[in-house]
This record gives sequence, structure tokens and C-alpha cells, in this order.
Amino acid sequence: MKPGTRLKSAACDTEVMVIRSADGTIECGGAPMGEAKPADAAPLSADFSAGTLMGKRYVDSDGKYELLCVKPGKGSLAVDGVALVVKDAKPLPASD
Amino acid sequence: MPTEGSACGPAIPLARWADRQLDALARDFGLPRLSGSTLLGERAAHGGYRIAGKVSAGLGGSRLMPTRDGNWFALTLIREVDRELLPALFGDADLDVRDPAAIAAAVLRSDGAALLETGRLLGLPVALLDEQPVSPAIDVIARGPRRDRAPGHRPLVIDMSAIWAGPLAGHLLWQAGMEVVKVESRSRPDLIRRDDPATFDLINQGKASVLVDFASDAEKARLVTLIRRADVVIESARPRALRQLGIDAQRLVGEVPGLVWLSVTGHGASGEAADWVGIGNDCGVAGGLSRALAQACGTPGYVGDAIADPLTGIIGARAVLQALRRGEAQRIGLSMSAIAAMALDEERAFDAPRLEAELRAWGTAPGRPFPALRRRALHAPVRPLGADTAACLPERAPC
Repeated sequence: MKPGTRLKSAACDTEVMVIRSADGTIECGGAPMGEAKPADAAPLSADFSAGTLMGKRYVDSDGKYELLCVKPGKGSLAVDGVALVVKDAKPLPASD
Repeated sequence: MPTEGSACGPAIPLARWADRQLDALARDFGLPRLSGSTLLGERAAHGGYRIAGKVSAGLGGSRLMPTRDGNWFALTLIREVDRELLPALFGDADLDVRDPAAIAAAVLRSDGAALLETGRLLGLPVALLDEQPVSPAIDVIARGPRRDRAPGHRPLVIDMSAIWAGPLAGHLLWQAGMEVVKVESRSRPDLIRRDDPATFDLINQGKASVLVDFASDAEKARLVTLIRRADVVIESARPRALRQLGIDAQRLVGEVPGLVWLSVTGHGASGEAADWVGIGNDCGVAGGLSRALAQACGTPGYVGDAIADPLTGIIGARAVLQALRRGEAQRIGLSMSAIAAMALDEERAFDAPRLEAELRAWGTAPGRPFPALRRRALHAPVRPLGADTAACLPERAPC
């Protein structure tokens, strides 16, 4: 998946921008995400319903995947069934 | 008049506009007389900065680069984590994110408007030469109950802002005689304290210093208790970050009589622009200053040193002083890019030929030092980090 690609959740309102990715399947709410919204919404899986937060960056433990939430929703993000976690934000250094 | 070009360099454009604001603050609110060239230029003068062209003065973290469609794109890269976003900005997984030439080449392959849109979505500090600020310079976004202050009341200011614009507003309010408490996060104190202590000391002298652990509900509750007895709050967090920290500005302004809440932002405190990131140099570009420079001398460049910061600090102090005089609780959103645009418009209306001459002189001076300045004396101690935490945030609220 090319960096900069925007993906939409099939199960909720979440939208992300791909920062980094590999060959796995990026999911939200338990369903694969795609560049277009499917005609029929997928059911929101109870195991992936913690929600996404606007502006947060989500990563996997190997650092292969990173997604930026550009629209929040009820689902949570995963790759091949493994949940992603929020990456800690960093402060701004002196003004420039 | 205090603002003149010195032997070492041309005057900073808009320093005369700042002079007029500072004259008005002295006349209307009793501040000591400060000069515009001092507040706009002291960081650069004391840091030995040289006048910048297309790479910003000082650390050089902001660059103006031409785009495929004939525009200029400003990108500020001062956080390492922001570099990780560049492949997404340019749609290029193989980009060498540490190589300025590779980044400039990627900009030249792209259209300005698309870079601006994606950059803002990614939370990068970006601007376009010909953009127009989308928010008002000064925007009252919430109102609350009035408070009538007794004559001689000394207002209490809680300054949670960082870097330059917000702390300068707090500094000017301290100059006006107010008690100012600087609040910093335990996990991420104001980095200018470490990176530029001389500037930090000038704009934070005389302020009490408090540290808060924003991961602790108890400490946050003590901070809110302090805010509830304050007259003024200054912060420069993105509205979303403030909410995620659990500080509800709208509610506090609605509940605390007379509380004046200043939200310093890059591009606006409400709507979509509230999520955009802006820093002094790119906000100057977004406010049209580099476009004005290009019109005056043929090629764009950065005007001043992070100029939107000190312009905003001055306007912020004025907005707070005026609101306190009215007595009504208000949340005031400042947009740094719109303030830069406003200052430019006002200066053009005041004396267009002189502004043009100053921009021409500035635009042809890259490499020369900033105007020399005599260092301002410190008039009060700079408190050690967190020295006043126990006194200002007691575990039991004072009865």
C-alpha cells in the first residue's frame, strides 16, 4: 500500500492515511479497509470496537505499519487480526 | 522612533507596526514602553542569526521550495517524527527523508494545493505562498458571565503556553503588573527553556513556575482549581489536545465569571483549521509575508525570525487587556497566520511606500546579520522549573 493512500473503514466512520505499510491486510472494526466505502457496511466486531481518535498515529509492534487517523470512528485498527496501538506524541521544540 | 535599521542590517519589516501596538499598550494600559524591533528581533539578534532567504533564520528548520505548478511550499521540519510522515506527504515510500535536496525534488514534482491539503491532514507545519488565512485574526469563540473587578485588583494569569507567542503575551501581561504562573507539563516542559535559555529568560522572567503531570487526575484537578480562581488563561495546545488532556476551555469560560481564555493557534481555534499545525515561520508565509516580499523584490523568502510568534504575542496581550476591561468571560482564539496577514494589511494602509522599501531592503539582504540590539535587562528572577508547584497547586485547596 503506497504511503499517502487514504483508507476507509467498512464497519464505521474511521478513515486513515497510510504512513507506512507492508503486505498484510489493514482492518478496522474487524473488516478490511479499502479506498472506497463498500455499498453494504460490515458488522462492527466486538473485539475491534475500542474506537479511533482523530490525529493519532497507530503502529504495530514491529514498526512495519503506521496509520494516521484522519476521521475517527467506533472501530479499532488492526493488521491481519492483530490490534495496532497509539504511538506517543512528541512535543514541539523551539519555534522555527 | 525606536525602530530604525542599524548599521548591521535593515529594519525588520512590520517592526514599526509592532511599535504602534506597543505605543497603544503603554498609553492605554500602562505598560512600560517596549520597541517593536526589540520584541521582533531580540531572539535573532542575541542568537547571532543571519537574515534568511529560502531557509529560515537560526536553526533553519523551515524551507521555501518551488512546486511543479509555479507556487512555493513552506515546510517546517523540526520534529524527527514529522520526517516519518514525508513518504505519505509525497506518496513516495522510497524518499530519503533526511536529504533536503530529495525533499525539494519531491516538492517540485507536486502541485502546491495538493501538498498543502495533505500536509495539513498529516499535522505537518506547512504553508503555501499564495494561500489566504481561513480564520479571523482574533475570534471570540465562547462567552461567559461578567465579573466586576475592584480597583487595584491584581489579575492572576495562568500561562500554559510554550515556545514564543503565548509566553510573550504572558510576559507583556506581567509587564502590565499581573501575577503570572507558568505551567509546564512534567513529561514535556517548554523546550525553549533548554534550547534558547536567553530568550526563555527574557519572556518568562518574573513568572512563577509550576509543573503538572497531565497523566495524573489529581494534579489536573488542582490545576483546574487554580484556573477557577484566575483571571486569564493562555494556552497554545491544539484544541483537540486540550480536550484529550481533560481541560474543557469552553466549560470553564461558561462557568468562571470574567475568565479570559486566550487560545494561541497556527490557523484558528475552531473548525477544521483548529487541527492544523502552524509555527512562526510557516505562519508568516501563510499570512502572505513571503508573497509580499516576492512582490517587492522578485523572489520569496522568510520575513523576520518566526515573525508570526512575536506579532501574535503582542496582539494576544492587547486582546486580553481589552477583554479584562470589559469584564465579560471570553475565549479568544488567535490565528498566527491571520495576525501576520492583518499586520501586513495594516502596515500597508499606514505607509505602503515605506513598507515596500523595507521589504525590498530585507529581500536583498540574506546572509547579513539581523539588526543589532542592546540586550534587555532582566527585572525579575527566572524561577527554577517547578519551584512554585507546591505553593500554587496545594494538595488541599486553600479555604
